[in-house]
Amino acid sequence: MPGANAYLHGTYDGTSSGEDGEFKFRTSKTGQQTLQVEFMGYEPFSLKVELKGDTIRLNVKLKEAFNELNAVTITAGTFEASDKKQAVTITPIDMVTTAGAVGDVYGALQSLPGTTVNGESGRLFVKGGDSEESQTYIDGSLVSVPYNSSAPNLATRGRFNPFMFKGTIFSTGGYSAEYGQALSSVLLLSTNDMPAEDQLDLSFLSVGVEVAGTKKWNSGAVTGTLAYNNLQPYMSLAPQNYDWVKAPESATGAVSVRQKTSKTGMFKFYSSFDNGSFTLSQQNLDAGGTLIDYKLDNGNQFMNASWNDKLGEKWAVSTAASFTNNTDDIQFEQTTVAEQIQGTHLKSVFSYPFSEKFILKFGGELFSKKFSQNVQMPNETHDNNFTNNTFAGFTEAQVYASNKFVTRIGGRVEYSDYLNSFTVSPRFSAAYKITDKSQFSAAYGWFYQNPVDDYLLYTDLLKPERADHYTFSFQSSVNSRTIRVELYRKDYKDLVKLTGGEFYLPTSYNNSGNGYANGLDLFWRDKKTIKNGDYWISYSYLDTKRDYRNFPEEAIPTFASKHNFSMVYKHWFGNLRSLAGANFRYSSPRVFNDPNSATFNGEKMLAYRSLDLSWSFLYRQHIIIYAAATNVLDFKNEFGQRYSNNPDTNGRFQGAAIQPGSNQFYVLGCFITLTRKGNANQLDKIE
Amino acid sequence: MKKIILSLAVVLISLVSMAQKPEYYQAMGESLGQYANCQSVADFQELGNKFQMIAAAEKSEWLPLYYHANCYIIMSFMEQDATKKDGYLDVAEKSVTSMLEMVPAESEAFTLKAFYLVGRLVVNPMERGQEYSGLSGQALGKALALDATNPRAQLLQLQMDMGSAQYTGQDPKSFCPKAKELLANWDNFKPKSPIHPNWGKDQAEGVVKGCE
Repeated sequence: MPGANAYLHGTYDGTSSGEDGEFKFRTSKTGQQTLQVEFMGYEPFSLKVELKGDTIRLNVKLKEAFNELNAVTITAGTFEASDKKQAVTITPIDMVTTAGAVGDVYGALQSLPGTTVNGESGRLFVKGGDSEESQTYIDGSLVSVPYNSSAPNLATRGRFNPFMFKGTIFSTGGYSAEYGQALSSVLLLSTNDMPAEDQLDLSFLSVGVEVAGTKKWNSGAVTGTLAYNNLQPYMSLAPQNYDWVKAPESATGAVSVRQKTSKTGMFKFYSSFDNGSFTLSQQNLDAGGTLIDYKLDNGNQFMNASWNDKLGEKWAVSTAASFTNNTDDIQFEQTTVAEQIQGTHLKSVFSYPFSEKFILKFGGELFSKKFSQNVQMPNETHDNNFTNNTFAGFTEAQVYASNKFVTRIGGRVEYSDYLNSFTVSPRFSAAYKITDKSQFSAAYGWFYQNPVDDYLLYTDLLKPERADHYTFSFQSSVNSRTIRVELYRKDYKDLVKLTGGEFYLPTSYNNSGNGYANGLDLFWRDKKTIKNGDYWISYSYLDTKRDYRNFPEEAIPTFASKHNFSMVYKHWFGNLRSLAGANFRYSSPRVFNDPNSATFNGEKMLAYRSLDLSWSFLYRQHIIIYAAATNVLDFKNEFGQRYSNNPDTNGRFQGAAIQPGSNQFYVLGCFITLTRKGNANQLDKIE
Repeated sequence: MKKIILSLAVVLISLVSMAQKPEYYQAMGESLGQYANCQSVADFQELGNKFQMIAAAEKSEWLPLYYHANCYIIMSFMEQDATKKDGYLDVAEKSVTSMLEMVPAESEAFTLKAFYLVGRLVVNPMERGQEYSGLSGQALGKALALDATNPRAQLLQLQMDMGSAQYTGQDPKSFCPKAKELLANWDNFKPKSPIHPNWGKDQAEGVVKGCE
């Protein structure tokens, strides 16, 4: 080993080893001395030697040091976007610069394998799972209502600005025992730490404006954000597929505080309010297609606090709490529906390293959810509500056999007081590095989640639904090129089924449903081949069927598509000071149900295709100009048909195509950053 | 008059300490003399080893740590294999951290911290640009607040400003008058002792040359 440092500790006598790893040096010191041999990445070696003036011959072997950052990590099912030192597949910046995402966290994730684009929803559908099976966490605590409220069959977006986050972990299966109440995936977002300096950010977009100011002090900072969006001017210019009586309009505000509590501790607090409304004119298929107004008012308050620190030398603690209050007031024809969700999440995690190679983690959490619904129709009123407290405890051990092999074994218990049910979920995952650049990883576990709110309103006779995950993945990163291949199987059990009785009777529901999903996910990313260019390709194959909810038999669910393909390309044009991006997405035809047909879910909708472009131009050091367009080739996208609730006089259910809100979407914007020094910019928003 | 007394005091103190630790000053002087001969990653590693040994022997001196970190930062710049760079910087980071604990109000120490952060940035400018340019700017700000005349802090600031100018449509040459002024005044800054940081004039000359 050449270049190792060998010296007598506390003296000036020493040398470095030569090409062949040999070293020799003379010293005038005598008596008891300590020979120290050190080399980067190896454990230091020290030996007491007795110096008597003669030559001492030694054979020193250094042991490779264990370093968690260089050690193998579990990658099965996980896409981690953070700037840790190992090769990562996607970065936080990718999250905001993917063309077609138009600044939506969930939109960007839909360019990764394992996801299926559902243009009429906009939500995440992961590995044959429904959108409710995915949960979002910010700084460790649950976000009960992560999406904006939208009209039926129209796409929504995430509530949170992607620039808030420094890191993202998107786990599409087999995740740690720390996470429960999600059958398909968890999205873990961590917010930015301390800002570098005071700044004022101004954003002007064709759909709204935003002002954000940050004030920093020695050990903390506060950021205040106000935003107003109104799609009216845009919608009056661009053709829309639906008639909006009142275009979507929203006002949001947020305050975030970061405070260092000690050398290692950080406290974060975030609070936001969001008020939005719209009125949409939709065809009433039960009344011959006459137009009716669908009006929605949404109010959302969200609070989130987290604290991370070390207790003493070894103990690490992280505590998080979140509170959501979400109200939707919906009016159509003579009916009004008022819904309220109050969600609280409390969580504490402790971790203790018995050694560098053995880390134990344990903790507890409480999910509390209160859901109430009030429906008023001309002749009747329905009031329903439920409160469900789910208590959970978990523990997990991460054991490194070496730098090359790691296993994670854990378990989780949950108890729901409303359902009076108790579950135990074992979790197991492992990873093995075959070479410096390549590794295998596998994960297995049981996952439970309480049935959806709409059912719990009427019954407490259900138990949580269950999915078992088997994931096997291979990943290799060489020279800024990454390939990932993942095979998985999911077994769904205890899914809620409707027995055909009246929906408001508790006995109309049971847990007799089941299903499966098998799939193959491929991911290729190459930042090297094209100079100043960077692209990734995702492909997912999905084979899934289930028998749940109102399904008469096992069938492919409407949200699943067999083949999903996405290709994202970004190119930096230095002379134009511009970053250009393109994203092509394809989803093979999904199924939908025609009540006029004897086959359940027997119809196929059009394939989904979209080519999205974006362009960012650094006009001045602190001014960025941004333009984006979706579906520039104007592919026709349609998401099947919706039908009337009752057959007409000829016994037929009337149908109408479900179209996207508009075939294309354009956005123009300008981002300005002002600082004291005047040299910061929002470059991270485009690069 | 005050100034003369002050500088006399500094000279006296350093003379006294030199007299007290002749071995330390000799070892430091010899090692610093080798900087000029270092041409490869291996050379700097060997030199870094010397400073590490000195740092282990002189637990209360921050300069060995300073030069130890400096060697590893330079190694990260010289290294061709991008995957090795962070490893060198991990070593540098440790010494930078221990050094700053010893001298939390030393302009040179913060300048080196900024230099180290630039090293991190260079590993992956696309992804680390924003975060690390902010962090190194902060460290430089501290260095200049502690001593606005520190030529190394000024040089680094200038290099960063010129580097970012090309991305923002500014003319890097607009910083040339500043560079010339910095070079002209370089020798007015007197290091506190012969073993205190005294590097950077070559680079400043390089910047000025690039202006012509």
